[in-house]
Amino acid sequence: MSTLRIPHRRLLMAGALAAGLLAGPALAADTVTIGIPVGLSGANSVVAPSVVQSAELAVEEINAKGGILGKKVVLEVADDASGAAGAQKAFDSLIFQKKVDVLISMETSAARNAGLPIVNRGKVPYIYTSFYEGRSCSPFMYVNAWVPDQQVAPIVDFFKKEGAKTYFLIGSDYAFGRGMLAFTKDYIEKTGGKIVGDEYAPMDATDWTAILSKVKAANPDAIITSTAGGAPNVTLTKQLRAAGIKALYGNLAVDEGTAKSMGADAEGIYISGSYFTNIDTPANKAFLAAMETKFGKDLKTPNDLSVPEYEAVYAYKAAVEKAGTTAADKVIPALAEVAVEGPRGTIVMNKQRHAPLTMYLGQVKADGSVAIMSSFKDVDPGDQCPKLK
Amino acid sequence: MIAQTLDIVTTAAILYAVATGLLLVFGVMKIINFAHGGLMTLGGYAALVTTQAGWNPWLAIPVAALFGGVAGMAIERFVVRPLYARPLDAILATWGLSIIIGQVITIAFGRGVQFTQAPLSGTLDLFGESYSAYRLALVGIAAALGLALTALLQGTRLGLETRAVIMNEDLARGLGINSALVRFLTFTLGAALAGVAGALITPLSSVDPNMGVPWLVNAFMLVLVSGASLLSLLAACLVLGGAQVLVATHFSPVLGGLTIAVLAAVILRIRPKGFARD
Repeated sequence: MSTLRIPHRRLLMAGALAAGLLAGPALAADTVTIGIPVGLSGANSVVAPSVVQSAELAVEEINAKGGILGKKVVLEVADDASGAAGAQKAFDSLIFQKKVDVLISMETSAARNAGLPIVNRGKVPYIYTSFYEGRSCSPFMYVNAWVPDQQVAPIVDFFKKEGAKTYFLIGSDYAFGRGMLAFTKDYIEKTGGKIVGDEYAPMDATDWTAILSKVKAANPDAIITSTAGGAPNVTLTKQLRAAGIKALYGNLAVDEGTAKSMGADAEGIYISGSYFTNIDTPANKAFLAAMETKFGKDLKTPNDLSVPEYEAVYAYKAAVEKAGTTAADKVIPALAEVAVEGPRGTIVMNKQRHAPLTMYLGQVKADGSVAIMSSFKDVDPGDQCPKLK
Repeated sequence: MIAQTLDIVTTAAILYAVATGLLLVFGVMKIINFAHGGLMTLGGYAALVTTQAGWNPWLAIPVAALFGGVAGMAIERFVVRPLYARPLDAILATWGLSIIIGQVITIAFGRGVQFTQAPLSGTLDLFGESYSAYRLALVGIAAALGLALTALLQGTRLGLETRAVIMNEDLARGLGINSALVRFLTFTLGAALAGVAGALITPLSSVDPNMGVPWLVNAFMLVLVSGASLLSLLAACLVLGGAQVLVATHFSPVLGGLTIAVLAAVILRIRPKGFARD
């Protein structure tokens, strides 16, 4: 009976609101829809929630200030199961059924490669926000995360400064592991270092006995590893420490969160990336505080895979406002021109669809925190997509 | 040379610790317990719970044995026992069980990689070579496990009955041996050993819901070439584990990962009994 006491006007408003909600899809032009295909299940499921949280914060902030071109921004998240088959379904449903205006996501390389033909067919802008092995090109895609050309140099340059002359490389036997180390090998040899060993184990390997014996026999000044994330990385680090190997240890595949939970074994590892929570800038501090306020105890620690997602949402906003429309053919060229100031600094995706990034070299401390040893401003991504401007 | 010998001995010790539980179950029940990998994972998480509770990391071993043993009792009673007469179905059922164990662990602890505290860290100097202390300790632990099991099988009434069941179950039952009880106890002990193996590998490995899986295939191959004897299992671990280390060192670790499976297949082709003497 209480509903009768509601004044008529408010009842009407509620009715209008309900009608508006029901008619939602028909009014799609009044919203800007961002599609996020991401690995909520499968290999990426550990990191995917932090990526979604980043996007949620960006969208909330943008809507609080009036949205994009006065339109409300909404998110459509789809699980790509971290792989090719799931990505095809996720991209297809986001582009052709949900009719999203843009795709912004962190994904495995397999999922990205499977999704790209669908993006090309649907002709929507796509911002890829995961670091990857490089040289993936599409007229519709931009990348705002690092490629090997940007990540490897800080570690090798630092080791060289520490006096390292001989290097041992250890990796998992798959595209990312081999691709990263092939680049590392070239770079070390180009800068005058010597490779004394170069070994790969199967992707699911948990036993590093033989490789570690070779490392001990070769006695290198420095070790650089690029394994699959998770278990192989952890087993290698544990067994390397247990074997008493004291060489400088650079790990291309460990993220801050994993390093933290590895405890004492991780101490002393050098890692390189475009984002660490310790970056001492007002933009990063404001971002971390906003994340803390919004998510409280459910907060997933922001990381090098989730922060680019936050910045990419702002890059899209800036590009749409510059173009004055969400039409893909206008937004795509604008994406190369807009600069976004975010937790990782000011980023423009103007180098063949990739972005020069400030890279940081960090060292894991005994308490699990990552101390930033040095930073390298605006490291160039190199020739990634020479056919695209 | 010394480093390589130590690699071979310690690798064999790890394989031995991982495979004994499987061997015991196979010997008595003539089924391969594919839940062995899942039970190892359970042992790994038992070690995780132990160190998270702030207990001494060595306590992880008895705690893991308890976890594995209790799970083993339930599995034997409700899954394996009704399938005694259908060994192939039992293999499928235990395989399914290992998937269930993995999923339950995922629900309870999440999919991520977890970390336990190692009971021993650092290196020991041995024959002029500094070598991982924990790997050396594993040699002692594996030897102790092997000796304790041998003593159990050779020196106790239960061991005698177990050996009787292994040799000829019908005859043993005819002589008044409760073979159902022997099977129950053997499966429980095998599951407890799987748990212990899981706890033992945590300092070398990560703790995640699939941690037992990579070990299962090698353990399975080793058991197939060893029959039901703890001694032939030791020989198999030394020969095949040694071959794995040599191939991985001198050729490639990728080939090393295949060595045990390939060699086991070749051995079974040439000599179907494998390392077993009778």
